[in-house]
Amino acid sequence: MDFSALFANLTLGFTVALSFQNLIYCFIGVLLGTLIGVLPGIGPVATIAMLLPITFNLPPTPALIMLAGIYYGASYGGSTTAILVNLPGESSSVVTCIDGYQMGKQGRAGPALAIAAMGSFFAGTVGTLLIALFGPPLAELAFAFGAAEYFSMMVLGLISAVVLASGSLIKAIGMILVGLLGGIVGTDVNSGIARYSFGVSELSDGIGFVSVAMGMFGFGEIIANLGQTSLTRHVEVSKVHSLMPSKDDVRMSIGPIVRGTAIGTVFGILPGAHTVIAAFSSYTLEKKLAKDPTRFGKGAIEGVAGPESANNAAAQTCFIPLLTLGIPTGAVMALMVGAMTIQGIAPGPQVMTQKPDLFWGMIASMWLGNGMLVILNLPLIGMWVQFLKIPYRLMFPGICLFICIGAFSINNASFDVYMAVIFGFFGYYASKWGCEAAPLILGFVLGPLMEENLRRAMLISRGDPSVFFTRPISLGMLLVSFALLAMIVLPQFRKKREILAEAED
Amino acid sequence: MAFRDRDRKDYNAGIMYVGIGGFFAGFATNYPMGSAVRMGPAYFPTILGAMLVMLGMILVFRSFFMHGGEPPTKTHWRPLLGILGAVLLFAFFIDRAGLIISSLLTMAFCSLGGWDFKWKEQVVNSVIMTAACVGIFYYGLGLPFRLFPWS
Repeated sequence: MDFSALFANLTLGFTVALSFQNLIYCFIGVLLGTLIGVLPGIGPVATIAMLLPITFNLPPTPALIMLAGIYYGASYGGSTTAILVNLPGESSSVVTCIDGYQMGKQGRAGPALAIAAMGSFFAGTVGTLLIALFGPPLAELAFAFGAAEYFSMMVLGLISAVVLASGSLIKAIGMILVGLLGGIVGTDVNSGIARYSFGVSELSDGIGFVSVAMGMFGFGEIIANLGQTSLTRHVEVSKVHSLMPSKDDVRMSIGPIVRGTAIGTVFGILPGAHTVIAAFSSYTLEKKLAKDPTRFGKGAIEGVAGPESANNAAAQTCFIPLLTLGIPTGAVMALMVGAMTIQGIAPGPQVMTQKPDLFWGMIASMWLGNGMLVILNLPLIGMWVQFLKIPYRLMFPGICLFICIGAFSINNASFDVYMAVIFGFFGYYASKWGCEAAPLILGFVLGPLMEENLRRAMLISRGDPSVFFTRPISLGMLLVSFALLAMIVLPQFRKKREILAEAED
Repeated sequence: MAFRDRDRKDYNAGIMYVGIGGFFAGFATNYPMGSAVRMGPAYFPTILGAMLVMLGMILVFRSFFMHGGEPPTKTHWRPLLGILGAVLLFAFFIDRAGLIISSLLTMAFCSLGGWDFKWKEQVVNSVIMTAACVGIFYYGLGLPFRLFPWS
């Protein structure tokens, strides 16, 4: 490992990230992300989609710094909601609800929040360091990839995204296919034919992924929320007395934080694995290791410290496949790909070599942003509490309006807003029938890339499909994909997935 | 009878997949197919569409043998029409009447989609949010909106 290069790179990164402009954007991103993330019933994907237009007028580096800030701000905000009102702001804080809310009810919401913040910061630091360490060698590896390897890697990414997630496998693969098909609407790069555009000029540019994300995650979620009663009734917000955790709290949390971070980093790097699984695995592990497992579910601090660190570590390390290989591993990362494309950057290994200031600046700013979260959130808890008291009936029209304005301002065209309506309608019914939106978004972003690489691979091999099986890296990735699919048949693995699915509901 | 207690979620999802896949694969016949070496614009969508149709058929077929699955929850028409209607209003009026009028309309119509609608507080809410959006997006971020129908 070349530490002097690492040091030089990090120095470059911090010079970029510490510039006044970038610090401000990182701060705004973290603040806005937390603000929206705290709102129950709106997850990180919708948050990012909603705030994406704000970054359009910025240069690439501050734009991406701000988006990354929005993302971990939103993740962190979700935990705050979980602890204070027992409503997960996003799916990965489902686990935090279990013990976090119990602690809140016992008047220990403050220490729970403080420990969550510390765990997240530790995990964020480790995650950022790992990106800096493993980014360059992985990018080197990716430079050796040909079209066949890229295609197989995308297959692996998509397959593992659905196998490791919960819910019906067939339906999830179906949603990926719908996404891939939707993604290739528009002008075909090779022939210049506008596919599936039906003479609509806007469609020949393709369907905007922001419209899809906003429709399915934004509108779809709001409509579903309004259909339930849990969000519309008055929420009880736990009181925060003192933030200081006791010495015992800290002592008991150190182990879970370290273990949670380790679990989280692994799950983050795996293509398709979600922060939810990281949090769940950490919770299960802590419960197993505990001297008295019965405390879990009744306000055990380990049950907050471990999962919170795990999901933050995973949120951090899932940038690794994106930044080095250009492959998004989940819905949020798919949005980041879209944001990079809008900024004129093709995600992939060349980002690191061609735009080192952007790459390292973003990484350094992730660490700074994580630090800001701690400094920002603990004193501002009082404000978030006030925010949570606003009833949902006053909140959702404003959120809707924000999404409308966001969708419109992508191209200054009402066409994108109409598309968002269509996808909102589609997303609402699809999720009723057990078809989730996340695989669709992933497929949607990867659609054109997959087609391009499939074409190229087949052209080079003169139409011989065995190229995917004769090149070792490609073969390896396809074998792993098959193995993952085969795992579904194992009864033990099946049971785990079902438990996860139940917990997410 | 089997048809009656089939798994409705799987059945509906399957029909949807068959429809979408069939549409894409079918419509692809309008484009050149090309060959495996030089794939035409129809190649990829045809393969994907066919796969989707197959998955959909598996779901439909399987749904007849999966009993006791929970039926999909009922459509909540009020939020569905309220939200999507409000968004349609926004899309329609933003070019014609400017940001202020379309925001007010969207907020007002949207709030009808929620429960316990109290019109006084929603009017106040609409005005505040519209003002906030104009402040943030028009003045703050300088996005090129028309504010009024005549501007």
